Amino acid sequence: MAPTTQFELAQPPNDAISSLVFAPDAPTRLLVSSWDKNVYLYDTHTTAENGDAEGGVSHGTLLKTYEHRAPVMDVCFGADDNEAFTAGMDWEVRRVDLESGEQTTVSKHTAPVRRVVYSKAHSLLISASWDSTLHIHNPSNPSLTPLTVTLPGKPHAMAASPSKVIVAMTSRLVHIYDLATLAGALESQTGSAPPPWQQRESSLKFLTRAVAAMPSDGGYATSSIEGRVAVEWFDASAESQARKYAFKCHRQTDNTAAAGTTDVVYPVNALAFHPVHGNTFASAGGDATVALWDAEAKRRMKVYQKFADSVAAVAFSADGRFLAVAVCPGFETGMEDYSGEGRTKIVIRELGENEAKGKGAK
Amino acid sequence: MGKKKRGHPDVEDILSRPWCYYCERDFEDLKLLISHQKAKHFKCDRCGRRLNTAGGLSVHMNQVHKESLSHVENALPNRQGLDVEIFGMEGIPEDVSQQHNQRIIQNFYQAQADRYAATGNPPPGQGGKNPPKKLKIENPEDIKKRLAEHRARIAAQKAAGGAPTHTPPVGAPDGQSPAQSASPGTFNSPFPPPGGQYPGFPPQGAPGFSPPPQYPQGGFNYPPSNLPSRPGSNLPAPSGLPLDLASLQGDHIDQIIRDLERGEAPPKSATPATAEEPAPEKKSKKDKDKNVRMVYDDELSPEERMALMPRYAFVPQAV
Repeated sequence: MAPTTQFELAQPPNDAISSLVFAPDAPTRLLVSSWDKNVYLYDTHTTAENGDAEGGVSHGTLLKTYEHRAPVMDVCFGADDNEAFTAGMDWEVRRVDLESGEQTTVSKHTAPVRRVVYSKAHSLLISASWDSTLHIHNPSNPSLTPLTVTLPGKPHAMAASPSKVIVAMTSRLVHIYDLATLAGALESQTGSAPPPWQQRESSLKFLTRAVAAMPSDGGYATSSIEGRVAVEWFDASAESQARKYAFKCHRQTDNTAAAGTTDVVYPVNALAFHPVHGNTFASAGGDATVALWDAEAKRRMKVYQKFADSVAAVAFSADGRFLAVAVCPGFETGMEDYSGEGRTKIVIRELGENEAKGKGAK
Repeated sequence: MGKKKRGHPDVEDILSRPWCYYCERDFEDLKLLISHQKAKHFKCDRCGRRLNTAGGLSVHMNQVHKESLSHVENALPNRQGLDVEIFGMEGIPEDVSQQHNQRIIQNFYQAQADRYAATGNPPPGQGGKNPPKKLKIENPEDIKKRLAEHRARIAAQKAAGGAPTHTPPVGAPDGQSPAQSASPGTFNSPFPPPGGQYPGFPPQGAPGFSPPPQYPQGGFNYPPSNLPSRPGSNLPAPSGLPLDLASLQGDHIDQIIRDLERGEAPPKSATPATAEEPAPEKKSKKDKDKNVRMVYDDELSPEERMALMPRYAFVPQAV
């Protein structure tokens, strides 16, 4: 059977997806955290025996689910393909052994935990919570007292590059911490948090929605609720800072409105850099599209066919061959009620050889 | 006032442009259209090869990459099908073609109407016949007529060799004439009396006028800068107008009359006033063009909003 380039995963979560992430090694191992209080582990490319019951439309296998007490806001892999960390609405950061399903509480915040990242190189687990703190752990050395870093605002997005972690907060605040410094401070056990390596103001005028770091360690991209993406570089020199830029995306012109044409602006819900072609990144918007961008050439490379609903999250597999897209209804201003039930899907797209390869700066 | 071509093409010109079945974009010539289709709709996303038709791409995908093409890339939602064989302008179904033409024509006339509305120019062939201008022109003519009558009377009076004291029959109309010629006041009527209240415009600083605080959190005032700054409301135009006319009407009746003699000055002085009106309107049109609706606009993140819902809320139990 000829492989189709895009397919839906069988047995998607029952409610909206908050995050999805591929394993650091296996390119078909996918973790998905959902508002339905579960974390799902899939193998995206084996088809279960009973999966073909509906005429072969379902792909992938749901390997396991891990139930939590409250909606799970984020998930990341740990040191290997069998360790995961989750960020919960129940204020807890948990470690999940994906093999046994055993869950242990790693950290307790005083508000829901929004994001969690793990840096393999520094073996650091960083969780960002709406209690305006970061908790920093070394999961391989649990005897160390975790470090608490107080933030000036509620964090909404966080991403780690090989040497830095970028935390985007309310009021357009962006703090960048040096991972080695954090690791050193944790090691020293003095309990005093190091100051941020850099403090910046977001290049975007609206609430930051997502952050993604370049695998090259050169910089990062942020997105906002107002259909815009900014690309910036870590290097604080004037030349490097002059290279930063922002652009509009994930918008639609609505000609049907009585009051003339209206530009409908969707939030950019997620960003992900390609692990191999490091200048390429994907943006996922409330307009139900995913676009590939070339950060260096400042070009749009591709826009994928509209999905059925808003795109909540995107992730590239470690080898860069697959793109996972989380599709569920978008939350819009003024919504009194929300449910992603029955409309939540995970779409896996197999990328062509050169599909994500930029043409280089020109 | 000759007709000026403003570079707006005719309907025929637009209708004759080749256009793409898949995305409804139109092009200068067929060559461009075909290269567009090859690049946007018939390009293989595996190897980048550009095929001539969707069918060609499908065969290519099958044979070279062992994959099946499910839809045409970058196409409008209802045009993704592989069942229609399109090459340039060939193969477009009749009904779709008709729909397209209809849309073009509709858009054209809409755009034309918008232009007329925006510029205040009359549609060609109807110059000066539109009612608003007619009104303004009529009045000065009335004045002129009245003036002519008045002069005739005076001339007659003089010809009769009437002594200045000998006025009874003629003096009355003479005395009334200021009032009568002040009837250009009718052409004042659309505007409220000078110095009066303009109910349409509340005093500055009234609650309705103060910009709503968009962001309660301190120092976060971005949205305004993002929008084109509104023209400082329409206040100046109306407030200036009545005053002008008042001075014209009050003491300078004679001036008006003299101007009239020289040839229709008041209509001229009126035109700049009316010309001012379309200006703010135009700007507000521009604003309209840039209408923006944000699907999500809040200082709280969507997740925080969702977290407040009973469905997702977490109530920490007493541990």
